[in-house]
Amino acid sequence: MSDYVSELMGVEDASDPTTGDVTIQNYTINFGPQHPAAHGVLRLVMELDGEIIERVDPHVGLLHRGTEKLIEYKTYAQAIPYFDRLDYCSPMCMEHTFVLAIEKLLDIEVPLRAQYLRVFFAELTRISNHMLNLGSHVMDVGAMTPNLWLFEIREDCYNFLERASGARMHHNYMRPGGVHQDVPLKLLTDIADWLDTRLPRLFEDAISLVADNRIFKQRNVDIATVSREDAIAWGFSGPMIRAAGIPWDLRKSQPYDVYDRMEFDIPVGTRGDCYDRFMVRVEEVRQSARIMKQCLRDMPEGPIASTDRKVVPPKRAEMKRSMEALIHHFKLYTEGYHVPAGEVYVATESPKGEFGVFLVSDGSNKPYRCKIRPTAFSHLQAMDFMSKGHMLADTTAILGAMDIVFGECDR
Amino acid sequence: MRAPAPAYAAHLNDATIDAARGALGASLQHAVAEVGEVKLYVDRESIVPALTALRDTPGLEYQQLMEIAGVDYPDRPERFEVVYCLLSLTRNHRLHVHVSTDDVKPVPSVTGIWPVAGWLEREIYDLYGVLFSGNADLRRILTDYGFRGHPLRKDFPMTGFVEMRYSEEEKRVVYQPVQLSQDFRNFDFQSPWEGAEYVLPGDEKGMLPEAKGAPTPLKADQIQKADAATAPVATPKAGSEPYAKTATTDAGQTGAGEPHGGNKAESKPGESDVVPTKGEGQNQ
Amino acid sequence: MTPTSGPVELDRAAGSSSLIPPDQGFFDSLNGELTDKGFLVTSTEELFQWARTGSLWWMTFGLACCAVEMIHVNMPRYDLERFGAAPRASPRQSDVMIVAGTLCNKMAPALRKVYDQMSEPKYVISMGSCANGGGYYHYSYSVVRGCDRVVPVDIYVPGCPPTAEALLYGIMQLQRKIRRQGSIER
Repeated sequence: MSDYVSELMGVEDASDPTTGDVTIQNYTINFGPQHPAAHGVLRLVMELDGEIIERVDPHVGLLHRGTEKLIEYKTYAQAIPYFDRLDYCSPMCMEHTFVLAIEKLLDIEVPLRAQYLRVFFAELTRISNHMLNLGSHVMDVGAMTPNLWLFEIREDCYNFLERASGARMHHNYMRPGGVHQDVPLKLLTDIADWLDTRLPRLFEDAISLVADNRIFKQRNVDIATVSREDAIAWGFSGPMIRAAGIPWDLRKSQPYDVYDRMEFDIPVGTRGDCYDRFMVRVEEVRQSARIMKQCLRDMPEGPIASTDRKVVPPKRAEMKRSMEALIHHFKLYTEGYHVPAGEVYVATESPKGEFGVFLVSDGSNKPYRCKIRPTAFSHLQAMDFMSKGHMLADTTAILGAMDIVFGECDR
Repeated sequence: MRAPAPAYAAHLNDATIDAARGALGASLQHAVAEVGEVKLYVDRESIVPALTALRDTPGLEYQQLMEIAGVDYPDRPERFEVVYCLLSLTRNHRLHVHVSTDDVKPVPSVTGIWPVAGWLEREIYDLYGVLFSGNADLRRILTDYGFRGHPLRKDFPMTGFVEMRYSEEEKRVVYQPVQLSQDFRNFDFQSPWEGAEYVLPGDEKGMLPEAKGAPTPLKADQIQKADAATAPVATPKAGSEPYAKTATTDAGQTGAGEPHGGNKAESKPGESDVVPTKGEGQNQ
Repeated sequence: MTPTSGPVELDRAAGSSSLIPPDQGFFDSLNGELTDKGFLVTSTEELFQWARTGSLWWMTFGLACCAVEMIHVNMPRYDLERFGAAPRASPRQSDVMIVAGTLCNKMAPALRKVYDQMSEPKYVISMGSCANGGGYYHYSYSVVRGCDRVVPVDIYVPGCPPTAEALLYGIMQLQRKIRRQGSIER
């Protein structure tokens, strides 16, 4: 006993470690694949030292549906709906990329009204996507109310998109050469009213609850800081690279459709942390509304699809009267159109970042290879270095600020 | 370019090819600009110095690796093509670098230049079976744990070889060979007058010579000549009245049924629990 | 125990089918009984069924696109919680699992594990064509052709994705199913 007492007194070196010196082994926990904050089916194998994250190994592919393989077996027109289902939070933007890639290979002209409509609905989709992301981000770090309000905006977006395309979520609205159908004037005026009244009221109210909130800032500021060099080396894009301080927006630098006629600003972060990513998205919503208003102001009357009859089917009314038009329609919807051989990589600014399609055509009516460049793939890969040294509870904030959707990540 | 595709600095294409020729030297096999996009074909062994040069040479400055795509061309001697899609933020330009390989020759990994290549290479390995030497973490990424085969190869069937179900006996999910209740319908859209070699059912009807005289859908052996009335020939099969009542007596063809049939014992389906009496039921 | 019991008999006495909601007479008689005696008499089975249908806590098993509509049905516009159905993140606390989205081979063991962890009685709603039978991805090499190959399904909600209303209707159908066939030992 006296030995022990002298050990405790520090006379001799203790053979049993005292409380402060206990060596704790790192342990591994499994986050997901079923976890409400995982935004889908992510599985994170995390190595923890106490509550500090040492290493993260994201396991993806739990939603690997073989989209790229299926696309090789479908005609181009049949493949468009697969793009809706990739990033199911922003379906229109996914379609947009694919039809732009087909158009680039086909080299067809698109009427101005169709280009405006595409940009218009792509921006509406961007708002709807950011509503989901911002809402779930604040919910993951503990706030409930903003999410309820932001989803009200999302419902409005869905109603508008349903009125335009006929479907709430998977619109299948864009076509090579234009869009599927024209929109009624009342829809445009309704959206204009909504942009002026309901959207700013709900959105600014909801964001005012969290943007300056102390708890929200404590959970997000200086969490997962990414430098400019890292952002470039890890292939970041979209709000992730802008939050790191690089003003890079494909809508501005590589404009497609009528984005070169639009006037909008690119929000840029200063510190590259989760809070910056959040605020970049908040500002993007305002800029999207601004673009939509310009679309409404400038949108001309006119056709909504190309006049190239090799690609665009005849109108419905024409089909009801003319036998040739019926045959033509049948051919385009069974065999489809043949796309000239070639390889293109077309990338657009989806709400989550650069969404690209590497399309290889062999001259037939089906894509030879359609490689989809998901935004989440490179962002999620950076999860390891972004969350190193942070607490376990920060994982949800980091994931929420990354804006990951697994339909797109796993394809 | 008439299509409203993303407009980056495409006027730099020719200058880029020249600059790349200078920077890459002999490792560049050839370079083309097609559909407004620059494609560089590079030796497999020198991909790492080539991409480093593309990133670091002033005037090229491709800072970001956006994507690595794999393509399978089974007819080529080196069947796989690995495509690196690069982006220059400062010059606002894009570029593809193509490398060809097969399933045994490894491609040097570019994870040393861009850390983002780690997962992209894992994906190519998973889907095509292309090996990358130097990638420290070359595991499967998208397919199931323990998946066999490389699904995006052209010889891999779309539906795969196995499917999953829960086994009540083993109390876990098990794999079993694929059984489809309805096959995937893959149509052949080759139009018959553009050189289909096979014979569709019904094509043999067109082989018979056509009759002389005015055009008619009938074939030569079906034509009734004017003087044929004297000869005792059978009525032609394809007459102008296909449902002629006089020629048809078989009830199976007319559908009329027999005059007083219907209630005969042998015409009824046998019922196991009705014991037939000797031709006299209760009705008689 | 036979499924006929108190309120259903009252319902029949009022001459109405059990499909339409109970009429005023039913409530009056119920109210009268309560004010007269101060208590209600019913069978335990009725009581259990009432409790089960009125608190269907569902397991958030969002897999793909349908998960977004599943969230929408919980949000203010559709407000699923007025039916007593609250989202739970833990399988131990939940009664019904909504399989929302494409079930892939890699995910199927996890789905089954979560299903096994749920406590009895448990129900499964298969939401969307992918979960019903593979749908658009039926011929893929990596998709389970219907989640009923992995877990037993009570209600199938068709659509790609089903609208929030459709899911709401599916949940009401599940409540009807529980009322119809519920018993203590399922």
